[in-house]
Amino acid sequence: MHIPDGYLSPATCAVTGVAMVPVIGAACARVKRVVKDRHAPLLALGAAYSFLVMMFNIPIPDGTTAHAVGAVLIAVLLGPWAAVVCVSVALVIQALFFGDGGVLALGANAFNMAFVMPFVGYGVYRLAARNTSLTSRRRALAAGVGGYVGLNAAALCAAIEFGLQSTLFHSANGTPLYAPFHLAQTIPTMALAHLTIAGAAELILTVGVVAYLQRANLPLLRINHPGVVDGDEELAPTRGLPALRWALIGIATMIVLSPLGLLAPGGAYGEDAPVALNLHKYGLSAIPSGLRHYNGFWKHTLLPDYGFSSGEHASLAYVMSAVLGALVVGAAIFLLIGVGRAVARRRPDVQTG
Amino acid sequence: MAGGATTPAWLLESEAGAFPIGCNGRRRRGSALEKTLDGLAKVVRQAIASEETAARPGLLQSLDARAKLPGVVALLVAVGLVRHIPVLAGLYLLTLALAAASRIGLCGFVRRVWLFVPVFTGVIVAPAMFSFVTPGEVVLPLGHWFGHEVGLTRQGLTSAGLIVCRVATSISLVVLLTLTTPWPRLLSALRALFVPRLLVLVLGMAYRYLFVLLDAISEMVTARRARTIAAGRNGRGARAAAGFSGGALFGKAHALSEEIHQAMLARGFRGEARMLERVRLRAVDGIWLLACLTLAVLVVGGDRALGL
Repeated sequence: MHIPDGYLSPATCAVTGVAMVPVIGAACARVKRVVKDRHAPLLALGAAYSFLVMMFNIPIPDGTTAHAVGAVLIAVLLGPWAAVVCVSVALVIQALFFGDGGVLALGANAFNMAFVMPFVGYGVYRLAARNTSLTSRRRALAAGVGGYVGLNAAALCAAIEFGLQSTLFHSANGTPLYAPFHLAQTIPTMALAHLTIAGAAELILTVGVVAYLQRANLPLLRINHPGVVDGDEELAPTRGLPALRWALIGIATMIVLSPLGLLAPGGAYGEDAPVALNLHKYGLSAIPSGLRHYNGFWKHTLLPDYGFSSGEHASLAYVMSAVLGALVVGAAIFLLIGVGRAVARRRPDVQTG
Repeated sequence: MAGGATTPAWLLESEAGAFPIGCNGRRRRGSALEKTLDGLAKVVRQAIASEETAARPGLLQSLDARAKLPGVVALLVAVGLVRHIPVLAGLYLLTLALAAASRIGLCGFVRRVWLFVPVFTGVIVAPAMFSFVTPGEVVLPLGHWFGHEVGLTRQGLTSAGLIVCRVATSISLVVLLTLTTPWPRLLSALRALFVPRLLVLVLGMAYRYLFVLLDAISEMVTARRARTIAAGRNGRGARAAAGFSGGALFGKAHALSEEIHQAMLARGFRGEARMLERVRLRAVDGIWLLACLTLAVLVVGGDRALGL
């Protein structure tokens, strides 16, 4: 994911570099206030650690290599601002001494791996870990998921930076001046490598290290988790069904946002009405008889095309469709679960485990 | 053992074939881990070599890092803005001339850059030469695909050439900078260029302790290999080991950092790293910086004059 010099236009490098200046400044100020000089050596060793993690390249079938970064691990152990400093320092050393990643592209690389990755990953970690104890399994898994999501967010940023180059910077005859690939090519390529191999490496490393520290070196985990209790037995019992509540909040948000679907231009591929087909394009002279016969076979829809039959109040009808759909699907699932439970209760002699 | 005792003869006799010693079976080689360890060893060698070249008398070595760093960055920006392969080739020749004037072995310098460029950049850029990535005028047709002519396009080839040349020249410039500048000087240059104090402090320490952690890793890997009997692949075990090693390494790093902090305090550290020697900027540093800026402007201007 280290972008060398020459792949990005100086303009892109400048924009990302300028974006990183306040981040680095804030990180240094915050780290100095929170951890003081006492932890300067710890940050240095965190940077060296991140450097070494990034050295472990894993070959990917398309001929390139990918690697874990360890940014989320450092964010979990020392805090996200410390991770900004550590990973930035590791990137500077790599760029200056080992030609891994460019000097001009330092801003872009730092933006992806030292800013986006630790913050996205740490956010996911905090959301997923919630108020579990320091030694709970869920916390280790949450760190791993944070690492996975963070790495992929960073890879997505890198892919966008790459993919914008051919659109924004080309000569008069269409010769791309910098990275020659389009967004449609860079995003799947980076996603493939990082959703599978590099993401898995980051996940395994992060879960493994946090799980190991939970067993063997709890004081290290306490650095960034003041006030978190050590064991599950010390936790105060929580009320209600938090998972269900979060699921309902998520569904409600999606229902409210559903009219955004009206903004999307064009229709889904292959779902056009037969009259809207471009017959000439497919070398046809008439609508195929089967298509004409079976299209519109079911005429008793409640809200045709998610709208009222009069065609008015499109957004309202869209939200109503969303609510109705969610209710029907929810009811169907509860019914299914109920049937499943009833069947399971009828057969108590089935061996489990 | 008594002084006059000699080794009994039966101990000196070799016993053939009873217990095969050494590696008789097929050894799994070339794993990603081993390759990485080899790569890390190379990193150490490179770092040591650069300290050695930085001490040689030469053109770039005689310049102050505070002038050298902005000069190189100006040239890097120029390389980034150039849009013609011949101009980039000219700039690359300039880096070779600078390397020669700085008494850097040209052979090693060229090899260091061109071993890296084709392997990494080439693999990534190669698909861009084809018409399905970079549409344009097909110069080497390779057949037809759904009625469209497929092949290498002029635009694709030019673009690939541009990127390879630009990457090679950029890397050459950075290598020149780091081969001719001792690390502490480079750090003080960064400090002079308004990089936050904490960042520079951490940079300096991270570079030093990189090698300590590197040793720790290779010792851990050797120790694990020495304890491993079964040759088979054990994915689950390997994953667990990665986690344990990573965690143990972090623990070691933490313990070490505590000791370093105590040592720093014991030596009177109060927040500012100081250099023993105060280096003043000389006229030659100003000339270098001015020359770099002028060259950058001229190159970019000339390149634009050649057309877009």
